[in-house]
Amino acid sequence: MYAQFFGSYLLSKNAVTPKQLTEAISHLSDVHIKLGTLAMHMGYMTAEEVNEVCFLQTREDKHFGQIAIERNYLFEDQLNELLNTQSPDYLLLGQNLVDMGALTNNQLEELLLGYQQENELKYGTESNEIPDETMQLVNKFFEQTGRPIPKNMLIYMNLLFNDLVRFIGFDFTPLTPVFVTSYDTNYCITQRITGVLPLLTAIDMEPDTAIAFAGRYAKMDFNEFNEYVKASLEDFINLHNGLFSVNMSNTYSKEAELDPPGHTEEKSLKLSDDAFIVPIIYPFGTIYFIVSSLPGEEDKKEA
Amino acid sequence: MKENAKILIGDDSILARQQLKDVIALYLDSPVFIEAANGKEAVSKYEEEKPDLTFLDIVMPVRDGILATLEITKKDKDAKIIIVSSIGTQKQLTAAVQAGAIDFVQKPVKDELIQQLLVKYLGGE
Repeated sequence: MYAQFFGSYLLSKNAVTPKQLTEAISHLSDVHIKLGTLAMHMGYMTAEEVNEVCFLQTREDKHFGQIAIERNYLFEDQLNELLNTQSPDYLLLGQNLVDMGALTNNQLEELLLGYQQENELKYGTESNEIPDETMQLVNKFFEQTGRPIPKNMLIYMNLLFNDLVRFIGFDFTPLTPVFVTSYDTNYCITQRITGVLPLLTAIDMEPDTAIAFAGRYAKMDFNEFNEYVKASLEDFINLHNGLFSVNMSNTYSKEAELDPPGHTEEKSLKLSDDAFIVPIIYPFGTIYFIVSSLPGEEDKKEA
Repeated sequence: MKENAKILIGDDSILARQQLKDVIALYLDSPVFIEAANGKEAVSKYEEEKPDLTFLDIVMPVRDGILATLEITKKDKDAKIIIVSSIGTQKQLTAAVQAGAIDFVQKPVKDELIQQLLVKYLGGE
């Protein structure tokens, strides 16, 4: 789950446009990582060396690794290591952007370095550490706003990104969260969580976006906005909040209760002063996820 | 498994009801479906139809699935009610069992699990 945040980083640096990004993300599953991209990422080769080897490949009928070794850009054990490693998905995203012409290898090299340093990402960590790492990413994601959020909320948002990958698709990019005290709705579904962590949660989007979102969630084709589309949005938020409740209960023995989700007629949602919105860009449109303490219950949240 | 089994599905989501019906229809011969969109409706439909097996969501408007289970099992000790919920916490599980539910399914629902439950509660092999 790194590509989503790398995408967000690229947008924040104005390195690519949202259109280029969504195109690159939507092709993530069709492509494989190139040895050159991986070598650059590991710091074994510079962007110039990779460019040179790629150029030579067009003239000599040899593999990338073969040429790189001949030119002393790679040692043989490094090549073997590269061939045996699994690459993180954000690297693939960067490679797609280079292939599309949105970035050069040199720009990618610099952006990768910046992203890794900013997020203190180390390469090749064990897979069972990934949840902590993604938590760290989510933490950094909120820190960039200058308003870090409490740990419970980090768990909530980390799970949200996971649930989006799981139930809607990995091809999204979260934009920088915005802190607000009210929100003008499009088509908005809300659900209240009560108990240990009282929250007002909401998912909002344009009706056309909702049709596409529902199609993915329900794995059905919808041509119009109907009751199944509405139910899909409600089911998604209810499922996510339910899984969060299970998560909190298992990890902290704290129970949360859910009210039934429903469409809100309110044109403007009144929120608490800790409320934030995360816009999430999918190729089919942007969804807005809204989280707020329950208005009037801010004082109880630490209880 | 039993033919023409009567299955009551109580869930406020039309999509969730449809998805569950689709899965059940894979494994049962011409099941008869009865639907309810909240716990209160589920109780009255149960009394009218006496279904062979009932699936209830927990989070529903008007009356939740746990209370509905309690009401149904109070009158019919042999009611076979399976709770299907996104909040499979220990507390909810305990509440469901205490209310008289015979099983608990965490959403998202897995087809194979529904198949196992149908075999278990509607007989067959």
